[in-house]
Amino acid sequence: MPFNTIPIKDFVGRESELGYLKRFAGLRENAIAGNILLEGGRGLGKTELIKQAYRIIFLEEKNIVPFYYLFQRGTLKAAHFAKDYFTRFVRQYLAYLKKDPDFIDAMGTSLTRLIPVLASLRVEWMIDLIEDFQEQVKSGDLYGQILAAISAPVTAARKSGRPVFIMLDDFHMATQLYETSPGDVPGLISLFESSMKTYLCPHVLTGSPEGVLETIFTDNSFRGKAERMFLGQLPEDIAYSLFKSYCDKLEIKGDKKIVLKFLRVLGGNPLYIRNMVRTLWKMQRRDITERDLWESYSFEVSEGETEFYWSSIMGEFIMDAGQRRTGIELLMHSIKSNSEFHGTERLAKILGIPESSVISVIVALQLAGIIQGGDKIRHLKDNVLQDFIQSLYMREVEGINTQRIQELIEAKYSSMSGNVSSSFEMVIPMASDAELVAAKAIEQIGRNINLAPDVINHLQLALIESCINAMEHSGSYDKKVFLKFNVSTERIEIIIESPGKMFDVEAVEVLTVEEKFRSEHKRGWGLKLMRTIMDEVRVDRIGDRTRVILIKNIKRNEVAG
Amino acid sequence: MNVTNVTNFKVISRRVGDVAVLYPQGYLNNIAGENLVRECNICLEREIRKVVLNFSETDFINSIGISMLLGITEKLKDSGGTLCFTNLSKAYIDTFEMLGLARYMHIFPGENEAMRFLTGINPS
Repeated sequence: MPFNTIPIKDFVGRESELGYLKRFAGLRENAIAGNILLEGGRGLGKTELIKQAYRIIFLEEKNIVPFYYLFQRGTLKAAHFAKDYFTRFVRQYLAYLKKDPDFIDAMGTSLTRLIPVLASLRVEWMIDLIEDFQEQVKSGDLYGQILAAISAPVTAARKSGRPVFIMLDDFHMATQLYETSPGDVPGLISLFESSMKTYLCPHVLTGSPEGVLETIFTDNSFRGKAERMFLGQLPEDIAYSLFKSYCDKLEIKGDKKIVLKFLRVLGGNPLYIRNMVRTLWKMQRRDITERDLWESYSFEVSEGETEFYWSSIMGEFIMDAGQRRTGIELLMHSIKSNSEFHGTERLAKILGIPESSVISVIVALQLAGIIQGGDKIRHLKDNVLQDFIQSLYMREVEGINTQRIQELIEAKYSSMSGNVSSSFEMVIPMASDAELVAAKAIEQIGRNINLAPDVINHLQLALIESCINAMEHSGSYDKKVFLKFNVSTERIEIIIESPGKMFDVEAVEVLTVEEKFRSEHKRGWGLKLMRTIMDEVRVDRIGDRTRVILIKNIKRNEVAG
Repeated sequence: MNVTNVTNFKVISRRVGDVAVLYPQGYLNNIAGENLVRECNICLEREIRKVVLNFSETDFINSIGISMLLGITEKLKDSGGTLCFTNLSKAYIDTFEMLGLARYMHIFPGENEAMRFLTGINPS
């Protein structure tokens, strides 16, 4: 399974994250780093990233053993989980020692049959581990089995002196581990605590629903043992490179300006990009027009692989037909009102169902990663997911047929037109007034596309703030700020990256103007200023860098005469 | 007329009756902002409580500069004085409005309008 990845040359735009994961195991061995909490929306490539890291470590590292485990609904019963986890670990360890990936997938071979191979490799301690585990199974000691499974990588690392790099995919599912029926023994996840404390076993944990992993880590046993790493959307130029590399393989050609417009709707999501190219190929489109793109898109969100992907997730978390309809109506209500969900009491009145049903559906949608949790429950800002939900609503609630749904989705986008684009990069030192150099650059870029002077001024102000933030919050010895400008006549995307400490958006104190006036501390306008000026401000952690993405969609009246 | 110069930032000031007009030049950031605060403090020490900030020669104001301007506004108000902002570019007027600051500021297109507001006299 962990070797089931796309070719590394097609894995574009995540080089810095991959490099960081590769270096991470070594940092942990020297007690410099903790564990990594890899977060991000669905389809952004978290699983692919850790699988790529797994493959590289497996093939290139002589002294670090990679172990990948995917939590799945089918193996959440504790006894099943323990056996599955332990068996996969033994196989992957053996595969690493033999440098033979075939051992990883040979699930048909019993552990007992692997013993002679382990003996030939002189890893008797692994044989002891197997025998101990089998003893626990025989005695029926469930906790003994789970502990033996979870601690196997730790024991292996201690006995061999080789660190084991543990990659736990969809780790949030571990909150649902149970003994005989779901929910009977909450807190089994805490049994991972000891493993995570071991300096020889760095962990990378992934989870899709934003905030769910953080919820796990509010538990005292986990708190303080992990650093956060966000996997955000691919920037526009990288998204285009990925799209083009898939198209080149399938001999599909298309005009860049049309494709860029299309990719903006996909929001830099690698899964969507791959699915769309496959659909273009299946529809036998070779020299693609704008119409081809929207045709394939409407197909994808209503009956293609993307529709299947989201339908499967919904089906996994909402199995009851009544709850499913409530979920669809609730999501559609949120999209239509283009805002946060109203309170559950009001939603219950709107949908005409008990409040308890609304609450249980919201919880399921949060777990599925379809809506965000936290104090305010919001639907995801994902065009494709929204179109999928709209298509689902039209089919299941309004009874509209698929062909008509596709026509409606096509009509929504087909009037859009493409434009010229270009990209600029620069590096500025973290030095006094260096942000003015960046401001000068965006001034010329703005002039190149005939932006109105006031709009250029606004962009300068936002960029100056972002550069100042990068300089003030970094604390890095590498005193540089990396800037990239992706520009078209309809959109400007500015990427500001700085090494060092994370700029924690959540930590920014939000005070009203009145409170600021009364307060001694009058600073802290930067983020608000950026958000006021730009259409979108995103802050991500990319490896050891903070990446801020500023996006401005250019309106017709913002272009000079 | 006084001229204070800190790195690329200068504050030129002049006095018109009981009004001080300050001309911040260049990039209004933390260092420059402190300098501007100092200039305003000098005005207060000299019992001048009507101040005009003319931004016609200001290149940029960053968020730290904005916070300094808030501080000056508050200090003058607490001293029973009035601060007027003039010749701000449209981008800054928009920004102050979007940030919700404009309603706490006396913003005028030019110096004459500000003088009329402060003195009730039409400047010639």
